[in-house]
Amino acid sequence: MRLILRRIVSQLGFEVIEAEDGKAALDLLGTVDEVPKLALIDWNMPNMNGLEFVIAARDDARLRDMTLVMVTTESEHGHIVRALAAGAHEYVIKPFTTDAMIEKLALLGLVPTGANL
Amino acid sequence: MNEHMTPTVEDLREIADQVWKAYLDPEGVRPLIQVDTAVTGTEVSASVSLTGAWDGHVLVSCSNAAAREAAAAFLGMEPAEVTEEDLTDVMGELANIVGGNVKSMLPPNTAVSLPHVVTGSANRFPMTRQIAELAGTWIDQPFSITMWQSSELAEVPA
Amino acid sequence: MTLSATDFAYVAGLVRRESAIVLTPGKEYLVEARLLPVARQAGAASVADFLSGLQRRPDTTMHRSIVDALTTNETSWFRDREPFTALTDVVLPELLPTRTNRTLRIWSAASSSGQEAYSLAMTMQQALPAGWQYQIMGTDISTEMIKRAGTGEYSQVEVNRGLPAQLLVHFFTRSGTGWRVNPALRQNVTFQQMNLAAPLPSMAPFDVIFLRNILIYFDVETKRTVLRNVGRLLRPDGYLFLGAAETTIGVDESFERVAMGRTSAYRPRVSVPAGAVGKG
Repeated sequence: MRLILRRIVSQLGFEVIEAEDGKAALDLLGTVDEVPKLALIDWNMPNMNGLEFVIAARDDARLRDMTLVMVTTESEHGHIVRALAAGAHEYVIKPFTTDAMIEKLALLGLVPTGANL
Repeated sequence: MNEHMTPTVEDLREIADQVWKAYLDPEGVRPLIQVDTAVTGTEVSASVSLTGAWDGHVLVSCSNAAAREAAAAFLGMEPAEVTEEDLTDVMGELANIVGGNVKSMLPPNTAVSLPHVVTGSANRFPMTRQIAELAGTWIDQPFSITMWQSSELAEVPA
Repeated sequence: MTLSATDFAYVAGLVRRESAIVLTPGKEYLVEARLLPVARQAGAASVADFLSGLQRRPDTTMHRSIVDALTTNETSWFRDREPFTALTDVVLPELLPTRTNRTLRIWSAASSSGQEAYSLAMTMQQALPAGWQYQIMGTDISTEMIKRAGTGEYSQVEVNRGLPAQLLVHFFTRSGTGWRVNPALRQNVTFQQMNLAAPLPSMAPFDVIFLRNILIYFDVETKRTVLRNVGRLLRPDGYLFLGAAETTIGVDESFERVAMGRTSAYRPRVSVPAGAVGKG
């Protein structure tokens, strides 16, 4: 899934960094100079899952401007409510088409103008 | 519409249609064709386990050629470029997506495991019975999605 | 089995003219696969037979089926977004003070699978003040589409398209493998089969009409008929919204274009009779 997402957002002009779970992601974020504009987050991950990561990220003033988008198979109503309540900005359910992902990013103002479909 | 406890073959069909539309067949020219007979000739499978209010497994199985094509479609590369790792990743992700969508139809306190991929003959699940099979061919290759429910412990004959 | 170059060029030209979509060479397999069901339904033995028949005797309904078969399958929610923003930011503030019965009527005049109608409903649900009511009517030429829209059921792939997650959880519930529109939203939307180019049943006029991405399928004469039919059902101070690349200019002079934020809308032109006395 990371490869697919990497492909989609690279085409939109993003540089991509990856981490395999929430804890690794927080560690990685601690080392970068520039806080990413966007985080695409799965739910089910070992060590620290996506929901826990969202809560931790929203708790960190330094990561305040990072847009948090869940990308996951977890599609029960309750899950989505919890993620949004915890501070996720958007939620993409798998399976999703490339167009759908781009539209969600456009909703968030993250697609450069002129990159419309 | 379908307010029932256990997902059915029709539900597997709908979930598969979504996956094909999103990743394996966005242009609608090479769909998964459902067949009546059980599928044979699968060489790689990926499964996720579901536990909680419902216990069992969701298994995605196909031939090596189909897995390679699926990985190519998923990752936007040529089949020849697909590595073993790509294949495992994609099969695992397919099981994750199908299993995750099955799970979302079950009671809320059901958990899904990380995917488990094996090559060779299909995963054997002890103490389970197959409750649904979506048997099909994709690009003339065997492809199936099956659901297995954990059985009660059987009486051991004396 | 694959399309001849002439047939492909014919289809590409048709699709380009009627939907601005470009079919580049290499997509013959796509055209063949997508048109086979259309050809079968038209009673042709093959896509080639179907197309040669059409080239001999053009048929605009068939043209539409072809374009439909080759354009994207899923419709988006809040398509293009700007018209919905314009509705909330410009149209409502203008109309609300004048509607003493505190009801708004909106027509989604080519509602297809229903996303536009329900998007309008969600917009109204969120933007209207307490005590206000709204009615959305969705119409489409296809009875099948009307039935589909009426169920309010959408798949995972469909609800991902342009629908903010907040609205998804607020207005939809899980249903089988997909989602279903909640009764609170559903009750304000009705769907009805209707052919815009034919005489329309008499109805109470609408405050807003969305006629988006449907005129492109028609020739000029039919465009005029449709706009005339639809225009008759629009309140004099109401607004008509067309698709992003569409306009009434050059087609129907009874409308005037009004810029609205980053989009535009159309309203009935108010003509002042010659020799009229100016307002005091």
